[in-house]
Amino acid sequence: MPRIVIRSAVLFVAAILISACSSMGVEAWERDILAKDEMQLPSDPLEAAIDDHIYFSKEASSGGRGFGGGGCGCN
Amino acid sequence: MGSPCEVLSGTDDESLATSLFNLVAGEAWRIEDKFSRYLPGNAVDRINRSDGESIEVDDETANLLDFAASLHDMSDGRFDITSGVLRKAWVFDGSDRIPDDDLVHSILATVGWEKVAWDRPTLTLRPGMQIDFGGLGKEYAVDKAASLAVEKTSAPMLLNFGGDIVATGSLKNSSRWQVGIEALETSARKADRVIRLSQGALATSGDARRFILKDGVRYGHILDPRTGWPIKDAPRSVTVAADTCTEAGMLATLAMLRGADAEEFLRAQNIQFWYQR
Amino acid sequence: MSRNSKKPLAVSLATATCALLGTTAASPVIAQEEPVWEFNTALLYYGESNNRVEDISLIVLAQRNFVDDRILTLGLTVDSLTGATPYGAIPFDGPQTFTTPSGLQVRTTPPNEIPLDDTFFDTRYAVSGSWRQPLGRMNTFSAGLSFSGEFDYTHFGANFKLSHDFNKRNSTVSLALAVARDDLDPEGGAPTPLSAMLDVGDLSNRIGDVDKDVVDIVVGFTQIVNRNLLFQVNYSFSNSSGYLNDPYKIISLVDSISGDPLDRMPTPGIAGPSHQYLFESRPDERTKHSLYLQTKYYMNGKVLDASYRFMTDDWDIDSYTLDLRYRWPLSGGNYLEPHFRYYTQSHAEFYRPSIDGGLALPSYASADYRLGEFDAITVGLKYGWETASGNEWSARLEFYTTDGKVPGSLLIGNQAGREIYPDLEAIIAQISYRFGI
Repeated sequence: MPRIVIRSAVLFVAAILISACSSMGVEAWERDILAKDEMQLPSDPLEAAIDDHIYFSKEASSGGRGFGGGGCGCN
Repeated sequence: MGSPCEVLSGTDDESLATSLFNLVAGEAWRIEDKFSRYLPGNAVDRINRSDGESIEVDDETANLLDFAASLHDMSDGRFDITSGVLRKAWVFDGSDRIPDDDLVHSILATVGWEKVAWDRPTLTLRPGMQIDFGGLGKEYAVDKAASLAVEKTSAPMLLNFGGDIVATGSLKNSSRWQVGIEALETSARKADRVIRLSQGALATSGDARRFILKDGVRYGHILDPRTGWPIKDAPRSVTVAADTCTEAGMLATLAMLRGADAEEFLRAQNIQFWYQR
Repeated sequence: MSRNSKKPLAVSLATATCALLGTTAASPVIAQEEPVWEFNTALLYYGESNNRVEDISLIVLAQRNFVDDRILTLGLTVDSLTGATPYGAIPFDGPQTFTTPSGLQVRTTPPNEIPLDDTFFDTRYAVSGSWRQPLGRMNTFSAGLSFSGEFDYTHFGANFKLSHDFNKRNSTVSLALAVARDDLDPEGGAPTPLSAMLDVGDLSNRIGDVDKDVVDIVVGFTQIVNRNLLFQVNYSFSNSSGYLNDPYKIISLVDSISGDPLDRMPTPGIAGPSHQYLFESRPDERTKHSLYLQTKYYMNGKVLDASYRFMTDDWDIDSYTLDLRYRWPLSGGNYLEPHFRYYTQSHAEFYRPSIDGGLALPSYASADYRLGEFDAITVGLKYGWETASGNEWSARLEFYTTDGKVPGSLLIGNQAGREIYPDLEAIIAQISYRFGI
């Protein structure tokens, strides 16, 4: 896909999200569920790092949610 | 109770939460009305104005008196519900006013559980003596309120009567309560401690706000009934975890009453405790 | 008056309290000070079928919480890699002999098998540290360093992240930057791209140490939708420059008609490759863009975690990843979490299984299966359980398989009837323990 199309799509989606999102959300006292471990991003940082490393060495893509702690001689 | 009291319940049933609140508050007020030394006409007030006459008390008061008697014995006289009159000599307002030896001495004549005739259900105080359940009233109240609440629901609950705390309900760590113990500005700790309480009780004894400071010596508000003077070298704050708040509170108080030996005493009890010096 | 027994006072107190409160002993107290250090540790086994790569890792993450939401995180990973990995040479119906990467020995592959290099073993150590703290009331800042070392590869990296909360902390935007410098010191030295694989002991085509630089930028946006739902969108940009080849991968030179590897005349008395192989060549720059969307949805105790990532780069690789996890709580703080991941990528523009020996050499060529076109599926199950003291164990078992497709246009002659792409099947097994002290 042409680069310019992708970049415009990203900016467009971002703008829509940010403006629509000002009306979404919860009050401070409604964060009970959001505070649970399993609702965190990520809920298991260790497993996320392990998976990122495995797939980085076996596939051509990497990251997405952030970046890993380091490179290695495996890709 | 003299302190803010609250009930936290982990339920999304609003009517249950309301009825729990009413139940707990009701029990707290009942106990306060009956045992507070400030309310004219109640059980304690009648005892304190008996002026040497024998008074017959009901079962609940008798239980508290039996308990106070055991504590007096266990603590070799350090815990004494007749020591309240010493407040006539000591005012812990942060000033440097300490009383005359003579004054303390004269008040000591009216202090001492051994001077009381307690033969259940009849209590006889010598004229001038007073009893005060302040040292165990709040802990007793929170334990009683908790046992009523537990009969009603097994939802996780936290009762906090001014720092005397009981947690009930489900056992699992997913319903841990986080209790913060304030770090005193003058202690080495910078941050409040956080204790995770799943079930059981916490009580804290300390002198954070009530003290006298004279000639660089800090006098905490806990008095030794055998001497009439504040305990020397007590920790600034002691927090104890126990199965009931009554036990936790008594252990914290008894530890403070040991002064410099507080930590040694607590370690010998095989319980969890935290302190600040 | 005095106590003769050696019973601690607490015991007499318990009895007196029982009499006072009139109830049987309450359940025993469970209280614990919040730990100052939190550890997350894992032991991982990764093993591919057919004696290919096997890895065992030990990972430890330690987090120290300070006052005011300031956090120090330290990480240590040790992993040990063994097993065989494809050279990149294509299989054919005769045996093939290769010089190993060190240049010291040869290895022979039987007919009709994908050639694998089994002299591959390594132990890697990686350490990382990062510091995170609030910056004002609504912002968070973090900075970190990373280092890893293997006998032929070292990595140094630094990262920074700034995030800002707004809309009553329902929204967060963040900007993160990471830079890294990796040094490669391959066994025998890095080979000149597209040079020939030579006899044992001949290192004349090696250029010594090489390096590469990587810059990553991530812009993120997180939004809480309602009490049960939140999502995150990230855009990432990554640029690598320098020596981007895999110094151990080769590509076969083949006959224009049959597609079979071209024979090579060995030097008399010296062991060496049986056919003509060239070391791969990749461009010295690569730019990637990706868009990542993740959502977490709480449904009455169960949590669905779904994420989707699209990646595109200037090597012409496009990839799509769908990752689904469903956490299903069981009684007592235990849970079961099935996991499904689907991945697909297109091949790099310069990916090809072999080079036609009758044509001019292309500028770039790689037969590395990781740059090829393939689908991959991961299916797994994780089970977690809590101990009485609030620490958590978890164990997971997953299967990862890839299914490659080599476009017909890239196949020459007899190659069309052969299994060219080294599909892999792997087991991932991990056990983790989270605890605090």
